[in-house]
Amino acid sequence: MVSSSQEDVAGIRERIDTPVTYIRPILEWIFWVGFAALVYAQTGYFDKKIPEYAFGATGWPRALTIAMIIGATGQFVYQMASIWRGKDLAAIDGDDSEPQANGKTATLGSKLQRLGIFVVPLIYLYLMPRIGFYVATPIFVVVLLLLFEVRSVITIATVTAIVYGLALLVFTRFFYVALPTGRIEAFYDINNAIISIVRAGM
Amino acid sequence: MEHFIGGTMMLFGDPQAILIFVLGLVGGMLFGAIPGVNMLTLGAVLLPFTINMNASHAVMLFSVIYCAGVFGGAITAILFNIPGAPENAPTCFDGYPMTLKGQSGKAIGAAVSCSALGGVASAILMMTATGAIAGWAVRAFGPQEIFALIFFGLAVSASIGAKTLWKGWLSVFVGLIIATIGTDPVGGVPRFNEGSVFGLEYQSYYLSAGIHFIPMILGFFAVSEVITQAMSIAEGTRERPKAGLEFPTLSEFWSVRVTMVRSIFIGFFAGILPGIGATLAAFLGYSQAHRASKNKANFGKGELEGVVASETANNAATGAAMIPLLALGLPGGALTAMIMGIFQIHGMEPGPLIFINSSDLVWITFAAMFWANLCIVFLGWLQTKTVVHILRVPFRWLAPGILLLATIGAYALRNLVIDVWVMFLAGIAGYLLRKTGYSAAGIVLGLILGKLGESAFSKSMQLMDYDFLGFFQRPIAAGLLILAVIVITTSIINEIRDTDFQKALMD
Repeated sequence: MVSSSQEDVAGIRERIDTPVTYIRPILEWIFWVGFAALVYAQTGYFDKKIPEYAFGATGWPRALTIAMIIGATGQFVYQMASIWRGKDLAAIDGDDSEPQANGKTATLGSKLQRLGIFVVPLIYLYLMPRIGFYVATPIFVVVLLLLFEVRSVITIATVTAIVYGLALLVFTRFFYVALPTGRIEAFYDINNAIISIVRAGM
Repeated sequence: MEHFIGGTMMLFGDPQAILIFVLGLVGGMLFGAIPGVNMLTLGAVLLPFTINMNASHAVMLFSVIYCAGVFGGAITAILFNIPGAPENAPTCFDGYPMTLKGQSGKAIGAAVSCSALGGVASAILMMTATGAIAGWAVRAFGPQEIFALIFFGLAVSASIGAKTLWKGWLSVFVGLIIATIGTDPVGGVPRFNEGSVFGLEYQSYYLSAGIHFIPMILGFFAVSEVITQAMSIAEGTRERPKAGLEFPTLSEFWSVRVTMVRSIFIGFFAGILPGIGATLAAFLGYSQAHRASKNKANFGKGELEGVVASETANNAATGAAMIPLLALGLPGGALTAMIMGIFQIHGMEPGPLIFINSSDLVWITFAAMFWANLCIVFLGWLQTKTVVHILRVPFRWLAPGILLLATIGAYALRNLVIDVWVMFLAGIAGYLLRKTGYSAAGIVLGLILGKLGESAFSKSMQLMDYDFLGFFQRPIAAGLLILAVIVITTSIINEIRDTDFQKALMD
C-alpha cells in the first residue's frame, strides 16, 4: 500500500519533472531583464555630461535598471526554489486567473465581451479628439452598459442620461472644463451646440 | 490657549467665516470621495476666487479643504477600491476586502474616527510647537536625510500589496523608472523623450514633460478595478459586496490603540518634511502596523488595523504639513503650494514673522483645522449611514460613471488626451499586475517618490563630494539607512524561511 506522503512526493516529482512548470518563472525573468535592458539601451540617447554632476543624466536610471535585474533574478531563484519544494507557484505567486467552478463557460460571445472590455475604451479614446467628447461619450456609456450585460432599454437610457447629464452639468456648466470638441467640422459644430445648450443662461 | 480660543471666536463669530468653513468641509469631503476628481481639483477651481476674499478666510478655506479632502478619499478607497488621492491608496488594501465581507460601515467608521483623531492630534501638535519643530526639521533634515528617509520608506513599504517581496520591489522599480521620464533634476537634460525601439524611432514632447502620477493612479486603481469587475461579470463570478452599516465597537478601537498612536507619530513626522507628506506617511503607517501586528496574516484580507493605520497617518500629516509652510514658507505638496499662492496673491510672505504680523490669520487657520477634524467625526458618521447605500446600486450602473469621471479627471489635469491614454493603458497594466501578484501601489509609490529621491540623492552626492560614506557621518541619515538595510535583510530572510528555500538548496 502506498502512503499519502509517498503519493505527494510522487506528485511533486512529476510536477518538477514537467518542463511547463518552469516556463512561467523563466518567461517572467526574461521579461524583466529584457525590460531593464531596453531601458538601459534607451539611456544612451541622453548620455550627456552635466558639468556640476558627475553621474550625469543617466546615472540614476541605469542604477535602477541594474537593481531591477537583481530583483528579477532574486524572484527567479525564489520561484525555482518554490517549485523544487513542490509548492504550487500559482498559489504563492498570486495567479488567480483560473476560472472559478461556478463561472460561465467560455463561449465566443463571452470571449468577445472580454476583448471588448479592453478594446472599447481605446476606441473611445481614439474617437474622442476626432468627434468630440460630447458626441463620443453617450455612445461610449451605452456600449459599456451593453458590455456589462445591461439589456433593459429603460435602464440603459436612464443610466446614460444621468451619467452624461451630470458630467455636462458639473464639468461643462459649473467648472468650465475645456473638453475636446472634435477635429471633424460637422462634429465640432455639434459639440459646440451641446456646450451652448448646457451653458444657456449663464 | 488664548490664541486658540481667539481663533475659534473669530471663526464662529463671523457668519461669513462659518459659511466658508462649512463649504470647505463639505466640498473637500465630496471632492475627496468622487473618483476622478480630488481636493486639488476643488482647490484649483477655487484659487482664482480667493483674490476677492479676506486672506485669513482664503487660507482657512484651503486648510479645511485639505483636512476634509484627505479623509474624503478614503470613502471610495473602501467602497470601490479606488483611492480618492494617493495618500488613501493603502486604505484600499484592507478597506475594500472589508467591504467585500459586508463590513463597509465598520471600515468607513474606522476611517472617519481615525482620520479625525490623527488630524486633531496633528492640529494640537501644530499649535503647540510649530516654530520649534519647523526649526528642528530644517536644521536636521538636509538632502542626505531626505534621501535616507525615502530609501527607508521604500524599504518598509515595497512589499505592500504584492504577493512576494520580489514582486513588490520589482513594482517599485517600475515606478522609479517611470519617474525618470522627463527632465533630470540637476541639468534639466530631457530623458526618454526620443530614441529607438527595435528600429522604430520615436520622439515625444509629451514625454519631455514626464508622466504625471494622477493619470497613473486613476488607471491603476479606478480603471483596473472597473476592468476586474467587468471581467468577473463576463466570467459570471462576480459577488456583489454587501452594505454594512455598523460602526466599529469601542473594544475594537481599544484593540488598535497602539497602532493609532504609532500612526499619529509617523504621520506627523512625515508631514513635517517638505515633499514627503501624507502619501509616504500612509504607506509607512500601514507597513509598520503590518510588521507589529499580531494578525499579520489577516492584512490585505480585511483587517481593521490596516484601515486604522493608513487613515490615522495620512490625516496626522495634514497639520504637520502646515508647519514648514507657515513657519518657513516651504510648501510640502500641491495643496500647500496653493496656500502659498494665496499668501502671494495677498502680498504676504509666510515665515517666522507671520506669527507676529498676521497672528489672526495663523490662529483662525489652526482653529479651523482643529474644528474641521472634529467635524469629520459627525459628517463621517452621517456618511457611514448614507454613502454605504451606494453599494446597493449595481456596479454595472456605476462603472460608466466611474470611467467617465476618471477620463475627465485625467484630461482636465493638463488638457491632454494623451494623459487619458496613459490612464487607460495603466488600467490595463494594473489589471495584469493584479492577476500576476505585482503591486500597483508599489508602482505609484515609486512614481511619487522617485523624482524627490533622485533630486535628494544628487544633491547629497554633490554636497558629500561623491563619498557614499558621507551618509554615515550624519546620525539621522545613517540611522535611517542602517534601519532600511536591516528591514531589507530581515524581509529577505523571512521570505527564504517561508519558502523553505534553505531546504530547497540542500535538496
